[in-house]
Amino acid sequence: MRAVITGITGQDGSYLSEFLLARGYEVHGIVRRSSTLQRPRLDEYVNDQTLYGKRLFLHYSDLTDTTSLRRILSRIQPDEFYHLAGQSHVGLSFEIPESTCELTAMGTLRILEILRDIKPAPRFLHASSREIFGTPTISPQNEDTPVNPNSPYGAAKAFANQLVKVYRDSMGLFACNAICYNHESPRRSENFVTRKISIAAAGIKLGIRKELVLGSIDAVRDWGCATEFVDAMWRILQQPEPRDYILATGRTHTVREFMQYAFEHVGLNWVEHVRFDQKFQRPIEPENLRGDAARAHRELGWTPKISLRELAAMMVDHDLERLKRTA
Amino acid sequence: MGKSALITGITGQDGSYLAELLLEKGYRVHGLVRRSSSFSTGRIDHLYKDIHENPGLLLHYGDLTDGQALTNLVLSLEPDEIYNLGAQSHVRVSFDQPVYTLMTDGVGALNVLEAARILHQKKQVRVYQASSSEMYGAVLETPQSETTPFNPQSPYACAKVYAYFQTVNYRRSYGLFACNGILFNHESPRRGETFVTRKITRAATRIKLGLQKKLFLGNLDAKRDWGFAKDYVEAMWMMLQHNEADDFVIATGETYSIRDFLELVFSKLDLDWQKYVEIDPRYFRPAEVELLLGNPSKAQRLLGWRSKTSVDKLAQIMVEHDLELAKREKHNQSFTS
Repeated sequence: MRAVITGITGQDGSYLSEFLLARGYEVHGIVRRSSTLQRPRLDEYVNDQTLYGKRLFLHYSDLTDTTSLRRILSRIQPDEFYHLAGQSHVGLSFEIPESTCELTAMGTLRILEILRDIKPAPRFLHASSREIFGTPTISPQNEDTPVNPNSPYGAAKAFANQLVKVYRDSMGLFACNAICYNHESPRRSENFVTRKISIAAAGIKLGIRKELVLGSIDAVRDWGCATEFVDAMWRILQQPEPRDYILATGRTHTVREFMQYAFEHVGLNWVEHVRFDQKFQRPIEPENLRGDAARAHRELGWTPKISLRELAAMMVDHDLERLKRTA
Repeated sequence: MGKSALITGITGQDGSYLAELLLEKGYRVHGLVRRSSSFSTGRIDHLYKDIHENPGLLLHYGDLTDGQALTNLVLSLEPDEIYNLGAQSHVRVSFDQPVYTLMTDGVGALNVLEAARILHQKKQVRVYQASSSEMYGAVLETPQSETTPFNPQSPYACAKVYAYFQTVNYRRSYGLFACNGILFNHESPRRGETFVTRKITRAATRIKLGLQKKLFLGNLDAKRDWGFAKDYVEAMWMMLQHNEADDFVIATGETYSIRDFLELVFSKLDLDWQKYVEIDPRYFRPAEVELLLGNPSKAQRLLGWRSKTSVDKLAQIMVEHDLELAKREKHNQSFTS
């Protein structure tokens, strides 16, 4: 089996490549050209000579560059296509709405247009987001909950999410949305709140930093573990029929709780180390976000098992290890 | 109050050296960075650490292809100088991604000029456009100077020629203080690792320490005029301090083949390059630029600029740096295993 992954250098992309390589797939990743070759999440695989250039390949392209994407796809002829790339930071999407829309919304449309012409078309998975629900009035949300985004990122994802349905229904593509609730890991970007917390807890424990500055700590999220989410993404494309699936744990926690677990793991009391700054608050904070993953449970046999406390511990341990090495 | 500057491409080789230079001169420096889930600020992290004592450097998310966000940023910062160094800068990659390369290197430059043109209505702003010796392509005369016609040989060079002429056009049409620096190859320990000089110094030092066995290269006969990036960013700054906006060739005036550079680097490590280097046709460009040699006399005459670092010294600087990297890598290997 041959798979293409956009966003392979990201958290989910790197775990998904690991997952697919372990199942014997040939994995092709799309990467943006940059003058820095920093792809820390992939280093281990790219440096593995038994994998890189043999079962793992990276191709330069960009979600705004249709001709190069088309050329790469017609050469690879993949069986599965995992579209995970996008400008994925919600807060930032208020600062750079145009490029967020260009990559996240238009980028998805361009890929769907290319797949439409490829025979046979690969099975297509779009990593959609619970941000499409904005501030929902119904909780928990399922696959039938109406979209009502309240950020440029959410609006772009809602557009992409709906287009995936359109191409499935009208063009007969095997195209699915994985509507993902927050999912974290030691590979989460350093400007997302959970990772900010795990790095701070580890740094404070080691005495190399003093405090952590945060926006709202009462924000409520449904947090899962990224390794379990990529497993579900793969399962979605193995089904007999294409469908959309909510991927969520169904349990919610506050930022405060996550912080408590992270600091407790290294024997610290967060209250002594955290300061607040309005700057980190979003213009609109989403509420009532809790996913109902009953369909995924029923049809994919998928049940997330890692608790938030375990996740926090895993992330803090990783950052302790990393900081010790560089200190 | 000191001057302020906006640098696109601040995370790259030239951007990082230029940021250093401007900070030393007391500028407030703003950098444009593309958002990415992995941080790309390795070359400027050492400047950024001091933010609490010295908020001289600020980074802003944006993209050269996002003209509105760029214009908003320029209008809110009102910089005295804008250095447009951001680009898809790899020539070989531009053959695989011609459209993206034109959007970023061509239209991206136009977006910068448009933003500057709007700001120009309110206050003086000076713009530096990073032009490239690649624009000479299949060269029509040797050495190449400001009057040598362009004959681009790659999508990258075509896009850079477009940006060059738009820069000239904005100077003539709107009186914008906009300069092209036509820089010949300039290298450093911060050169991207897919560029040939850095590829060579990385490989040679890793081979020296037993971390690597072979080095695969493309055309060894291509000849380039290689200078040191740190000298070259100074020329960028000098252009914008000159009393008149103009275009300048920045080069050493000497040319060496890739084979010569290999020889220099490997001999510094007491190695014979012929034992380690293999030719891989994958690295050949569809169309090669065989010989680049710049004539920097205009920059010498009008700006008082000259290249200070010989190619031998440059190779030495890069080898020393990469040898340190290789040693650290070896140390880490023993640490993790």
